[in-house]
This record gives sequence, C-alpha cells and structure tokens, in this order.
Amino acid sequence: MVYFLKRFAQMIFVLWTVATILFFMFRTMPGTPLAAFIDNTTTEEQQQALIEQFGLDKSLGEQYWLFLTNLMQGDLGQSFFFKKPVVEVVMEVFPNSVILTLSSLLVAYIFGIIAGAYLAWRRGSWVEGFGIPLVLTTRAAPEFWLGMVFLAYFSFHLGWLPSGGANSSGAEFSSEWARITSWDFLSHLALPAITLAIYLQGLPLLLMRSNMLNVLQEEFITMARMKGLSTWAIVIRHAARNALLPVATAFALGIGGAVGGNVVVETVFSWPGIGRLLVNAVAASDYPLAQGAFLMITAVLVVMNFIADITYHLLDPRVRVAARG
Amino acid sequence: MKRNTKGLLRASLSVAAAAAIMASSQTAIAEAGDPIRELTLISRAQAANPQQFQAAELIAQAWRELGLDVTVQGMPRPQQSDAVWYNRDTWDLTMWQMAGRPERSDPDELIYNLFHSTTVENGYNFVGYVNAEYDQVAEQQRMTANREERKVMIDKLQDIINEDQVYAFLVHPLQTYAFDSTVWDASTTVEQPGLGIKNFWTFTNVAPLGDQRDMVLNSSDELNAINPFYISGATDSWITELIWDRMMRIGPDGLAQPWAAETVEWSDDAMSVTITLRDGMMWHDGQPVTTDDVVFSFTAPVDFAPMYKPFVDGIANIEVLDDKTLRFDLTEPNAAFETSTLAKLNLAPKHVWEPLLAALNDGENAESILEETRIGSGPFKFNRWVTQQEVVLDANSEHWAAPEMERWILRVVLNVEATLGMLRSSDLNFLSDYTGDPSLLIEAAEADGDLEVVESVDIGFQYLAFNLRRPPFDDAAFRRALSAAINRELIRKAAYNGFAVNANSVVSPALSYWHKDGIAEELDTGVDLAKSILEEAGYVVDGGRLHYPEGQTEQFAN
Repeated sequence: MVYFLKRFAQMIFVLWTVATILFFMFRTMPGTPLAAFIDNTTTEEQQQALIEQFGLDKSLGEQYWLFLTNLMQGDLGQSFFFKKPVVEVVMEVFPNSVILTLSSLLVAYIFGIIAGAYLAWRRGSWVEGFGIPLVLTTRAAPEFWLGMVFLAYFSFHLGWLPSGGANSSGAEFSSEWARITSWDFLSHLALPAITLAIYLQGLPLLLMRSNMLNVLQEEFITMARMKGLSTWAIVIRHAARNALLPVATAFALGIGGAVGGNVVVETVFSWPGIGRLLVNAVAASDYPLAQGAFLMITAVLVVMNFIADITYHLLDPRVRVAARG
Repeated sequence: MKRNTKGLLRASLSVAAAAAIMASSQTAIAEAGDPIRELTLISRAQAANPQQFQAAELIAQAWRELGLDVTVQGMPRPQQSDAVWYNRDTWDLTMWQMAGRPERSDPDELIYNLFHSTTVENGYNFVGYVNAEYDQVAEQQRMTANREERKVMIDKLQDIINEDQVYAFLVHPLQTYAFDSTVWDASTTVEQPGLGIKNFWTFTNVAPLGDQRDMVLNSSDELNAINPFYISGATDSWITELIWDRMMRIGPDGLAQPWAAETVEWSDDAMSVTITLRDGMMWHDGQPVTTDDVVFSFTAPVDFAPMYKPFVDGIANIEVLDDKTLRFDLTEPNAAFETSTLAKLNLAPKHVWEPLLAALNDGENAESILEETRIGSGPFKFNRWVTQQEVVLDANSEHWAAPEMERWILRVVLNVEATLGMLRSSDLNFLSDYTGDPSLLIEAAEADGDLEVVESVDIGFQYLAFNLRRPPFDDAAFRRALSAAINRELIRKAAYNGFAVNANSVVSPALSYWHKDGIAEELDTGVDLAKSILEEAGYVVDGGRLHYPEGQTEQFAN
C-alpha cells in the first residue's frame, strides 16, 4: 500500500512537471497566437480585443497560476481556435485515437509475441535467416510510404477498403457506441490499423525473441526437456510465460506513446485523431489546446507506466520482494 | 516628403563623402557609398509552399548577379507573420500572397487597404508605402459612384503602383478544380471569374445526373469555426455563405446583385440606399425573417464582431420604413458599399443571437460563441460537423433558390495523393481544394475519363514585398531595378509549372472590368536593364558587391 501511494505521488509530480514545462515551452516559442488570425484581422483595436480575449494581457505568473488552478479542477481552458473547451475538442477525437492505437497494438503484439517465440525456437534455421531481415525491413519502412502503398492498392486499385476518414461521407449513427461498432467504422479502421501494426510489430517481436533465447538457456528449460515434456509445453507453458514480462511493459508504454505518435498515419488516412489535433494546435499557437492534448498524452503514458509497474509488482514476486527491501 | 529627408541625409553626409573622395585614389570607389548589407528574403518553408520557396530561390539567384548578397530563409507561417506583420521595422524582403475572396471582386479592398497610408502602422500596408497622391485617388474612387469615372481612377492607381514597384508582383496562380461529369451536369456548373467553379452559384445550381445526389467535396485544411460573425479560415467562408443569406451576392459577373433584397435603390447623392426585403423568407427553424433581423445583423458587428466591424462602420443609421423596407444612411458616399457590406454581412436570426450576445462577459465577442444550431435562412441547412472529418449540409427545399443536390458534404483530406485517389474512386465527386501539381490532376483526369478539370485565374496573387522603411528599399529606382531583374517567365514555368499568369497589379485579370489591360507587359525586365537602372540611380558595383550611391551609408548593417 505504501508502495502504491509512493508511486502515485511520483506520478502526480511527473504530471505537474510536464504541465509546467509545457506551459512555459509554448509561451517562449516564436510566433504569437494572433498570427493565425492576421489574414482576417486588421486594426490594432481588433488585435487588442484578441489579446484580452485570450488572456494574454495578464502577466506570465498570473497566467501560470490560472492555468494550474484550472487544471486542478479538470479545466484545461478554452481552445483559442475552436472556441470550445479543450476537453470537449480532445474528447471528440480521443475515442478514434484510442481505438486505432489499441487495435493496432493488439495486432502487433499478438503477432509479435507468437512470431518472436517461434523465431527463437527455430534459431539458426532458414526461417530465422528469412524472418529477421523481413521484420527489420518492415519495421524500417516509413509509415507514410507503407500507408500510401496500401491506399493505392487496397483502396484505389482493388476498391476493397475505404480511402480515408473514420466513417463514410454523410454516414449517420444513433450513438457514439453504434458508430464505433459499425461495419462502416471497422472497414475504415482496417488500413490505418494494419499500417500502424506493421510499424509496431518489430519491437515486441524482437523483444520476445531475445527474451526467449535467454529463457531457453535457463536450467529449468533443460530440466523440462529432461522430463520429456512436449515441445509445445516447453515453449508455451514454461519459456514464453517467463519471456512475456518485458513485452507486457513495452505494451503498456506503447499505448501512451502511440496515442500521440500517430500523426503520420492519421494524415495519410485522413483519420480524425489526437496527433493531427496536436500538430494544428502547435502550428496555430493554440496554447491551451496544445497543452491540453500533450497533457492528455502524458497522462495516458504516465498512468500506463504506473499500471505496468503495479502489474509487474503483482505478477513477479521478485519485484515485490525488492520493493519491500 | 520622403525625397526631402533623403536629400537632407545626403547633404549631411557630403562632408564625409568629400573626405572619402580625397582619401581614395580609385575614382570608381570614390563615387560609391557603403556596400549594401547582406539581405534575407523570407519565404514559407519549402515543404509548406514549394512554389513560393522555389520562386524565392530564383529571385535570389538573379539578384546575386546584380552584386547583392541575398539568402533565402524558409519559415513556418506563424513565424513569418510574426516577423513581417508584428515587427515591421525588422525585415527586409519577404515572399507574400493575397488570397482571392468573393468580396475582393471589387478592387477597393485591396487597392485601399494594401497601400493607403492609414494602414501603415497596423493594417495591411505592412510594407510601409506612403504616397499622398495615391492616398488621394484611393479615397476619391471610393466616393465615385459612376463606374466609368471610377475605372479611370482605378487605372491610375494601378499605374502608380507599377511606377513605384511597391511590390514585385510575380504571378496570379491558376486555380484548378475538377468534378465527376457522370455525377454532375457540366452545363449547370457556374464559373465565377477569379474563383473558378467552386462558388456559391455552382453549389446552388449544379444538377445531379443520376442517383448520386450528394456532393462530396474536399478541404485540405482543418476547419475551425462555422459562425455567421466570424471567419477563421478560407474554408469556413464556403460554408457560412451557404447557410446564411446576405442582402446581396457577388454574381458570376463579379458585381453585387440583389439576393435577400428584392430591390436595392440608391439616392441621387449616393448617401443612402433603400432596400426591400424579399417576401416569405424563413429561418431554418420556421420563424420569418424580419426587418428587425436585418437591423440586428448590421448593428451587432459594431460591438460584437471585430472582423466585420470595418464593413459596417460606414453606416450612420438604419431606418425601418415598413415591415419590408429599410433605408441605410451612410456617413459618406461609398462605391464599394454593395460589395463590401451588403454582399458581405451574413443575416443572422435575432431571436437566436441576441440572448447569446447579451450573456457575454466584458471583452468577449461573438467569435467566442459556439452556437451549435447554426440557424440561417440560406439555401443549405446545417446538419452536423464531425471534427477533423466532415461537415454535412442539407439542401433547404423551402428556399426560393433551392439547390438541386440533396446534401453538401465537405470532407477534410490532408493528403494530396489520397485526394486524387478519392476523386478517381468516386469517394469525392467535386474537387474543391487542390494544392498539388496541376499537371498530375490533368493526367489523372485523362486516365479516368469521367473527370472534368476547370482552370481559372485567381483574384489573389503571389508577390515579393520590400520593406520601404529600410533603405535601399525606400528608393523607387532600386525597387524597379530589383523587380526588373526577376525572370517571371522562368518562375511561372519552373515554380508554377505553367499554371499561372504573370502579374503586375493588385487587380487580377480575372476582374476584367477593373484590371488595367496590358499592365503586366508594361514592366520591362532583364538583368541588363536592372543593371542600367541601378547605374543611372548612382549605385555602383565594386569588387562584385553592389554599393549605395555616393555619400549614402548603411544604417542596418548586421
């Protein structure tokens, strides 16, 4: 319990630090949020009105204090650009981002774990000689290129899958739940999720493989072989389970990282998501939105890290003992 | 006035210059002032605007031949705006552009705002051009109701700008649009000069040929707001003009024509205009459109819509004569009133907006209001907006100009290649925003067979701006020389792939009535010509480096 509280306090501290850095980082960046409006606005009067409206006439200290107190109340402020509360803007696309990330991570990790274990087992064979370079190549292929190739082939050439967006043009749904469980949504999800999964599978695969190789050297595996257990039982029940722990950590961290890191895939497939939101917010100096989106990503990352630690703690007795000592 | 200060400067420096002449043995050097400082030409970054960046590179190359030391510096737009717009004394040269908009169909907006001395400090005249003669004619044309007389003045203003080369104009790009001619009847699209086929008239007129009655078009930018009192970006205005009616509309001929107004009648002194409201107009929620709504729409911007305020400032009073008629009294005659006010302001329902405006805090305005019903009286009704994905409008069948299509669906597609792919796979049936290479679009259309591509000259233009606050750019001869050194043909062909026409005026050839014919050809060019202009004005090349005329020192050396 003490361990839990300590980790929790650490998490809050990290979030506060990130929030503070974000606050000052955006305000010291070149460019002013007014620049995004100048094509339309002309007079000084109008500029002054904007400055006041954005609260930029207050001192930096005052702005920071306001930002922190609002943050404590779960209020991330109002987007300069969308004129809506940041939370509302972010939440509109957050489900899309989470679903895209989770589905591609699941595909990538399930495939990666199985293929990694298999490649470790077949060490030194032609399968390995062929498989490892293939994995490395797909891992290194630029996402936008892979995405464009998939689009060109599966969408434009074969016409099997839709070409962009999260739903067909003009499609209507009775609820958000109905939308994300619809065939329309899932077919739109397929190409971006597979593109992202191909990009993501390298890490779990290689991690699983090297862990497996280590575990397979262990004495208990030799023992299992001596007991005459089947290959299946050795690989799955004994080796794979032990090799899984670091992969589980990578998975949890991957969720946080991938939520923010999908800009490229989101752009190629016109997928409404938090990465695109973030890029726009930064380009337009929309401080509240950029801060808010970054904070959401950080929060997901930190919380996932926290969960990974706690699960580790529960899963692995060695960690538990070390923490107590 | 500017000449005088320069004369003074020269006189005060002549002693120093005389000393320099005596000290020097070489006459060539003796006649020269200081070498001209290293110059930075600001441009959008290559990735963001490859055409502009390439044009900048070509210009810098030509100017190096004149003995100038020029570097091109790419910047993101907010940073460029910050440097050029908010720190007006600090930059030397920048690439810039003016976008085409329906309201710019009247030359006044650009002619007046870009070069009138009142906008030097904070407004559109960011280059700092001050010319009393220009100011006077620019003011005069505003008050001239007679079109022929006004045309003479507009020509005169174009001549002055040409003579002074305030900007080095480069090109008016060609806008390319396309649509699926198996879905839409090509003969029902409407081309509006300067705007192409993507305009209000096409959207309300175009007829579907078969079962596909939804128009699916694209935007390559994210959307920010759909608000009758606020335009946050170019794409917003395509949407607002469909939802909210206006008293007048800019017609396909570029002139304002009555729309929500049945008639628009001017008094003889051009100081007031009487408007009769069209019969039977309804808001999308079923309430009638009244003269009260009209008064509200033209008065609310004074306090609550900073973006629209300049366009209603010239209204002294609005008098309701009866339940269908109003009279607008102006503070002074204004030739552009129809275009820049009656055809620009959106008619917004008072019953929806008045309570919202009343609830605002100090310092807030209509731009911060998110009114999600978006009730207007226009030919399309707002259906919904899915962030980063699409905006759906339904045709308003009750409207007197009811569209033929069923729905108007604007998809946000950021990826140019995907946009082309979608057009070919019929996921899009109207290409309304294309930022890629036009020749690729034409190839795609040829391969497809169903697509029709329409090109038209933009009202907007690309140019290079000199900062007239900083010598040597205060010298018109120097600007003329630099402008003459630019090979516009090369820029047009290399940077714009031929999809542009040469420019030398703020009034685009697309506005055929107001554009001064042949003004682009009046500009003589060539590096040799540039060199001789410089030589005549006293500039000297020494050691491969261009120097100021005799006695002039460098004030901005870095």
